[in-house]
Amino acid sequence: MLGYTITQWLFGILSFLAVMFALLVVFSKNPVHSVLYLVLTFFCIAGHYLLMNAQFLAIVHIAVYAGAIMVLFLFVIMLLNLNEQHEPRRTSVSRIIGVIVAGLFLMVLVGVLKGTEQLQLTNTANAEAGLIKNLGQVLFNEFLFPFEIVSILLLAALVGAIMLGKKEVKENVNENRI
Amino acid sequence: MNGLIIICGLGLLAMISEIFKFRSVLFPLVLTGLLAALALNVWEWNNPMHISYFENMIGFDRSALAFSTVILAIALLWFVLAQDYFKSGQHLVDHYALVLFALAGALMLTGCKNMTTLFLGIETLSIPMYVLAASKKNDLKSNEAGFKYLIMGSFASGFLLFGIALVYGATASFDFEEIKAYIAVFQGELPGFFYVGVIFILIAMAFKIAVAPFHFWAPDVYEGSPVLITGLMSTVVKTAAFAAFMRLFMMCFSNVSELWVTLLAVIVALSLAVSNFTAVMQTNTKRMLAYSSISHAAFMLMIIMSDKGETASVNSLIYYSLAYSLASLSAFAVIYLVSKNGSEDITELNGLHKRNRLLTITLTIALLSLAGIPVTAGFFAKYFVLSQIPSDTLLWLTILAIISSTIAAFYYLKIVGSMFFADSYTKEPIVVQKSHAFVLIVCVVLLLLFGMVPGLITELALY
Amino acid sequence: MMKLAALVPLFPLVGFILNGLFGKKMSKGLSGTIASVAMLLSFGISLAVFLELQTAENKATVINLFSWISSDTLQVPFEFLIDPLSSVFLLIITGIGFLIHIYSLGYMKHDDAFARFFAYLNLFVFFMLLLVMGNNYLILFMGWEGVGLCSYLLIGFWFKNNAYNDAAKKAFIINRIGDLGFLLGIFLIFTTYGSTTFGDIFPNAGMASPAVVTTIALLLFFGATGKSAQIPLFTWLPDAMAGPTPVSALIHAATMVTAGVYMIVRSNIFYSMSETASAVVAIVGLATALIAALIGLFQNDIKKILAYSTVSQLGLMFLGLGAGAFSSSVFHVTTHAFFKALLFLAAGSVIHAMGGEQDIRKMGGLKGKIKITFITMLIGTIAISGIPPLSGFFSKDEIMAHVFEYNGLLWFFAMIVSALTAFYMFRLIFLTFYGKFRGTSEQEHHLHESPPTMTIPLVVLAALAIFGGLLGLPEFWGMSNWMAENLDTIIMHHHETRLSHQTEWILMGLAVVSALIIILIAYNVYRKKGLVPVEKEQQLKDWQRPIFHKFYVDEIYDFLVRRPVDFLSESFYKVLDLQVVSLLVDGIGNSVKTFGSYIRLIQNGNVSTYIVGMVMSIICILLFIFLI
Repeated sequence: MLGYTITQWLFGILSFLAVMFALLVVFSKNPVHSVLYLVLTFFCIAGHYLLMNAQFLAIVHIAVYAGAIMVLFLFVIMLLNLNEQHEPRRTSVSRIIGVIVAGLFLMVLVGVLKGTEQLQLTNTANAEAGLIKNLGQVLFNEFLFPFEIVSILLLAALVGAIMLGKKEVKENVNENRI
Repeated sequence: MNGLIIICGLGLLAMISEIFKFRSVLFPLVLTGLLAALALNVWEWNNPMHISYFENMIGFDRSALAFSTVILAIALLWFVLAQDYFKSGQHLVDHYALVLFALAGALMLTGCKNMTTLFLGIETLSIPMYVLAASKKNDLKSNEAGFKYLIMGSFASGFLLFGIALVYGATASFDFEEIKAYIAVFQGELPGFFYVGVIFILIAMAFKIAVAPFHFWAPDVYEGSPVLITGLMSTVVKTAAFAAFMRLFMMCFSNVSELWVTLLAVIVALSLAVSNFTAVMQTNTKRMLAYSSISHAAFMLMIIMSDKGETASVNSLIYYSLAYSLASLSAFAVIYLVSKNGSEDITELNGLHKRNRLLTITLTIALLSLAGIPVTAGFFAKYFVLSQIPSDTLLWLTILAIISSTIAAFYYLKIVGSMFFADSYTKEPIVVQKSHAFVLIVCVVLLLLFGMVPGLITELALY
Repeated sequence: MMKLAALVPLFPLVGFILNGLFGKKMSKGLSGTIASVAMLLSFGISLAVFLELQTAENKATVINLFSWISSDTLQVPFEFLIDPLSSVFLLIITGIGFLIHIYSLGYMKHDDAFARFFAYLNLFVFFMLLLVMGNNYLILFMGWEGVGLCSYLLIGFWFKNNAYNDAAKKAFIINRIGDLGFLLGIFLIFTTYGSTTFGDIFPNAGMASPAVVTTIALLLFFGATGKSAQIPLFTWLPDAMAGPTPVSALIHAATMVTAGVYMIVRSNIFYSMSETASAVVAIVGLATALIAALIGLFQNDIKKILAYSTVSQLGLMFLGLGAGAFSSSVFHVTTHAFFKALLFLAAGSVIHAMGGEQDIRKMGGLKGKIKITFITMLIGTIAISGIPPLSGFFSKDEIMAHVFEYNGLLWFFAMIVSALTAFYMFRLIFLTFYGKFRGTSEQEHHLHESPPTMTIPLVVLAALAIFGGLLGLPEFWGMSNWMAENLDTIIMHHHETRLSHQTEWILMGLAVVSALIIILIAYNVYRKKGLVPVEKEQQLKDWQRPIFHKFYVDEIYDFLVRRPVDFLSESFYKVLDLQVVSLLVDGIGNSVKTFGSYIRLIQNGNVSTYIVGMVMSIICILLFIFLI
């Protein structure tokens, strides 16, 4: 079909969808809609993982991001009862500036990165790296240290979130003095 | 490495201390832990058995050990200073844990030898800092600071990841040494996106060390955060970020230096101009120090551009970090003690001379050091920087640096002057407790000592 | 053992820190003890080091403490040099320093700022030790500046008296002028030889052109004229007597003022290479010696007489240096340290007894009242007058012999100086200790011998003043001159005396006889006739007037230097400062502020603005690096 393989077709379609949904995330006025579009974007990206023979990553991506995190987002949004009225009014000037800057950035990035598609990569990674078995081996051999240290990172994030979220036990006078 | 392990352990210990009810002994425990980490650092320095750990993910050679010793020592002083801050606030244990985790991130950064450890180190350092910046929960400014820091920090992290991905795409490696070797072999045939990746990493790092034009977050965050947290940001965070910056650009990307040296020169020039011109106008002490930290970061960046060889640069950077951290820590300590019952406005320091002499002397020495006046460590710090800039190509930068130092001296000395000569609205003496006085005296003594004998640091045998 | 020498300056430093920080909280006894014990420890180590050096094979030990300044071309290690020269100075500084500390315990007993005094004194000793121990010119300079600072602090010790403060300022400013010369000298040395370390410079001294060497030598000598009170910078020393007497003894007689001599002996190679510089040193030294001795004749303040005598003796030392008699000058520094410290301390004891009176016209007949003081002071006076077998005789004679060989005319004037010295010193003795008491009856009741803490140092110093000559017995007596042999390795160019023994005997005899005759004259005038110097200026004869007014040197300086400078600074202030600099500075300052206020607009606290700013910067960076 037009000289492209199926994989390339799939890649094109998924990419188009991902970009489109991402734009919709930004442009939709209702936060609930934004979140839902984001879920769709994640699905498209999971599709990319599948194309790259990384089934495990694709599943994890859907389970964690689309499943857990986005549902949490939805909960929060609904609990806070955010809707269109709550969104702060943006002046058209700032919108225009935003669009211009983003557009410029896109153009520059494209300009900078163009021409790389003809490049023959000298290093090709193992095609089966995304499989769960290989991933596990890499994670527990070569990347053991980062794997362990991520736990510290997550712990820190957890503690931080709890600390910020926790109610003050009592409003004592000292509080103002810190 | 042992230091890192101890600090991680201390963080965990802090978290379980609430459950097992030994919260009251947490402070001495942390101090002992830090001292032990320092001692082990010294021991590792003298017994360099393992330099790399975990498949070359992290490595503590002597330069890393020197940076981590600076960080640990400053952290130790900071903890002594922050003792009653922890006492009076809520969530004591959380604070301890967060600071310790941030410290762990900082130590990782000093030893990073791999893009993954670099990224994780930066995040482990940043995330607790985001939270700590917002830790004064009743204060709108503090909340705002934390939030801004988080958003803009994530923005920078995004660039860092993008950059790492591009570099990985070109070289198929995360390992600094492998990347360096790859660049050396394939110089000239590297794909264009590799260079974009390097520039993105540089931009992200420039954000973390807060230099213009990626400094916007710094004044707001510095001003909004609790004083002591700001003190931590300008000392520990900055030193760690510079250690990582140096490792990245002097070790990993040194072969493509023509790409980033000019960019760094522009960044430095911009930072010097923006920070010093703006600092003159500030009325909030913390904000002023934020701008001062930008200009010092610019000075430190100049070391990375040096062409006088790695050893000399690393030595100068260590010396500069130490001098700057000590001066900055003591300045923030004084502001903390003065602003306990007052505002953080510069006028609060008026007539401090009559209220407490120790604070006045400390702040004077600290500011003189920041201004780079001789006999204080700041002088040699700046001197080494200026003597290392390649004088043939970057003479204009040297001149700019000297001019901006002069402007900087103006706003530092203005404070010194007003401490001695201006009238204060109150004559009420400020009582400084013994442990705080101890920290201040240690800082002052070290500033003067290193100022008189810079060889103590610059002659360390790093390799 | 040699390495222990690094501890020598440490003890006074510790003493200074303890006394400086906690002095107010300590009892007087404790702070005095700390300071004195620190000195004793230093002295002990100095002595051990000195003795070891006598038997050691290697006469110069360098102790590297740490790298002080290390930058591209400038490498300055913090090193101490222990060699025969510095070891002699170490002994003088710590030994006499210790005695003076003991003396001060008694002398300063009633002073409120007791701890401050000892803190300064210890700090001074610390810097003085740095000065003589440093292995390069920078450490020497650091000590040099440090002793200057301490001298300033101690002259103005009683800072409530404005005249004393003025004296302190004068000393400091005049010293600074000399320091400028010294500093220029160091710069020139560094640019010429690329190092400031002695060991690198002296063996290569010949590499520089003669003109450069002469310039270096003259600049260093100019530095020395400040610290060692030579023409043209000698006027501060007599005024410096405002400080407490132990200070005068330690700083302004025994140690600091001899720093110039030390520095020149250390740099002797430059002077051996330059005839011109040597001649300048000799002539300036002699002129200083002569003028100071003349002024000394008409002084009535007991400390001022001693001060001028110090200036005069320093002049003699420089004369010796100019004549190439380096080891003789060090010898004279040593003996002078003994007897001049003794004289000052004895004078202090007299002042103590007189309840603060310093005018010798109001004294007299003290001989029987304060016996120990009298005897020790007499010993000091005999020593300085050059009567054998006391120490001053040997050291002065050695210099004289060298000067005679160098130039007969200079020798003749030096003999006059020597005779004048004997005269004014015995005038001091006769007016103070003989005759009738001329003070108030109140003072007469008050007269008493000083406490043992003060008299013991006097006795020890008197013993040293008597036997100090043993350090350098004349060679033509068939004795061995220890001092000359000791300093053998330090002096780069030797020149042996070619005088016959007969000439030397004659010179020696002449010196002794003239001194004795002068003493007889003094006895005749002040003892037999009981003459007391006049009260008022009008009664002076015409030829005496200029001398009484110290040759109007202060007035000349005032006219030649101060007024033009005043005028210049006034006009600079009015024209340059107000009209030009102010406008310029204000202009720059204002533009900085305006610029700053514009930049501040960007910093509006809005995250979106920041992000836009950052993205725009990134766009610019990418554009510039990759697309243009």
